[in-house]
Amino acid sequence: MKQPILTVKNLRTYFYTEDGIVKAVDGVDFEVFQGETLGIVGESGCGKSVTSLSILRILDEKGKIVEGSIIFDGNDLTKISEESMRKIRGKDIAMIFQEPMVALNPVFTIGEQIVEAIVLHQKVDETTAKKMAVDLLRKVGIPEPEKRINEYPHELSGGMRQRAMIAMALSCKPKILIADEPTTALDVTIQAQIMELMKQLQKEYGMAIILITHDMGVIAENADRVVVMYAGKAVEYTDVKTLFNDPKHPYTWGLLHAIPRLDVEQTRLYNIPGIVPNPLKFPSGCKFHPRCEFAQEKCSLEEPELIEVVNGHFVRCFFWEKVEQAKKKEAGDEQ
Amino acid sequence: MRTETKRMIKRLMRNPSAVLGFSLLIFFTIIAIIAPIICPPQSYDPYMIPIATWDKTPQPPTAEHPFGVIDGRDIFYGVIWGTRTAFKVGLIVTLTSTVIGLLIGSVAGYFGGWLDEILMRITDIFLSIPYILAAIVVTAFLGMGLNKVMISLITFGWMATARLIRGNILQVREEQYVLAARALGVSDYLVILKHVLPNTIFPVIIQATMRIGSLVITAAALSFLGLGAPVGYADWGSLLNFARNWLLGASGEAFKYWYAIVYPGTAMVLFVLAWNLVGDALRDVFDPRLRG
Repeated sequence: MKQPILTVKNLRTYFYTEDGIVKAVDGVDFEVFQGETLGIVGESGCGKSVTSLSILRILDEKGKIVEGSIIFDGNDLTKISEESMRKIRGKDIAMIFQEPMVALNPVFTIGEQIVEAIVLHQKVDETTAKKMAVDLLRKVGIPEPEKRINEYPHELSGGMRQRAMIAMALSCKPKILIADEPTTALDVTIQAQIMELMKQLQKEYGMAIILITHDMGVIAENADRVVVMYAGKAVEYTDVKTLFNDPKHPYTWGLLHAIPRLDVEQTRLYNIPGIVPNPLKFPSGCKFHPRCEFAQEKCSLEEPELIEVVNGHFVRCFFWEKVEQAKKKEAGDEQ
Repeated sequence: MRTETKRMIKRLMRNPSAVLGFSLLIFFTIIAIIAPIICPPQSYDPYMIPIATWDKTPQPPTAEHPFGVIDGRDIFYGVIWGTRTAFKVGLIVTLTSTVIGLLIGSVAGYFGGWLDEILMRITDIFLSIPYILAAIVVTAFLGMGLNKVMISLITFGWMATARLIRGNILQVREEQYVLAARALGVSDYLVILKHVLPNTIFPVIIQATMRIGSLVITAAALSFLGLGAPVGYADWGSLLNFARNWLLGASGEAFKYWYAIVYPGTAMVLFVLAWNLVGDALRDVFDPRLRG
């Protein structure tokens, strides 16, 4: 069996704020294999971004990883020293951010910033680094890279900036690229271009991508396997085909229902009732039970575990079989 | 040269008060540099104004002493060499206190938490002591002399910078490019130096520039009170201290000893004005909101 390059086990990251403890990530498990794309999907505030910041250990001072392990290359990233962690950041695990508008430093040219990233982890002199930067910019599809390298972030368009960010992240050929909502701030055509570019670079470098998004469409087209998160917990974890064809958690089922369909006449779009709970006052038991149409008394009392219901398909729900019945009934209705 | 730099210089040249400020500053710099040529030193310490006469009453300007004589000393010599003293005090005190303020403020702002709490409370304590009073007490405690004045001015001069830079860093720290730099594996020290400071330093530079002028006034005030430079030292404040006894003029002739105040006073006013105009000009150039 293939060995995962990154294993996250029972990760819990809490923020100790003045108002109390915010359990931003409260039990997330997944594995990342070489060359694959793992999607992490969920509503805003469900802990997807905090998961990625925890992997790189760049949380702010209020955030702490309180439990769990992140195994990379045989080392537990939650336990190694800050110094060794810094050598992994950018070199082995790189990250690109949601807002290319603000993720580049406005006072340096993009060339200077890419050169910084190269010089940081590779023993090359400034001139070589500059040549490498030009090559990288060309590779990510920026026209006239020799000229663009001397331009400031504000002189580039959003798509160009995201390309520059990708060039920076790839400068050390990382094994894992974490992409935190890489296309959310871009318009649809640029989104498609950027995703295409990332796929192409992934093939070329053989790197794994952790794709964080709230967009089910982006997941369907790009991810190999998916973790669905709700209120800081992984609620469902399986490969992308199974997730879309055979969702087993009521939340996933609800999310997929909320996508408008072209093949069926719909008068009103389905939505999951209620709102995401306040992280300071999470409900007892299963965090999803107040919004769940299959909830029973047990759900408010006990917290379900993430269990493997079918081979490679993990669900955090006591009554996942009920979703099966609902699906069958719905399929019957449609016919 | 970068286009941005060219644009800045062009903007500066269009602003008459900026041109005046920079011209004054260049003028003072030249005076300070060629002081030994204008007034060749006559003793082993060039900063000591040579004694022209033992007569203590002020004497009006003559060809030999163009700015007159006070306390037996040539005012012209004192004003010329006093330019060097002014630069020395202004630059050393401002640079040192700004660096201290930057260090404390950036550490407090970037790391936050208990470190921020401790450093900011120390800053508060220093801020709660009246500036001039504290400077007087410390100078009196350390003993007289220009170096002691500078030490006390540095000791009580860094807080504004620390506060300013901390506030700016708190704002910039949340920017995504700082997180992005950390995600690339940049060390905390380099993140502060390369990513945070360049985005927060301009207000500090402007503030420091303006402070150089006002520091010269504070140092002069201490000299005027007799706490600064030793008697006979070429320092505008000391020259004014000599003039203190003759401020009222003679009976019926209020302006009899005008030269004792006007020459060192004018030098000081122009010096402060120069730095303030330069500070204003820098603010106009750096602040993108004021860009036309």
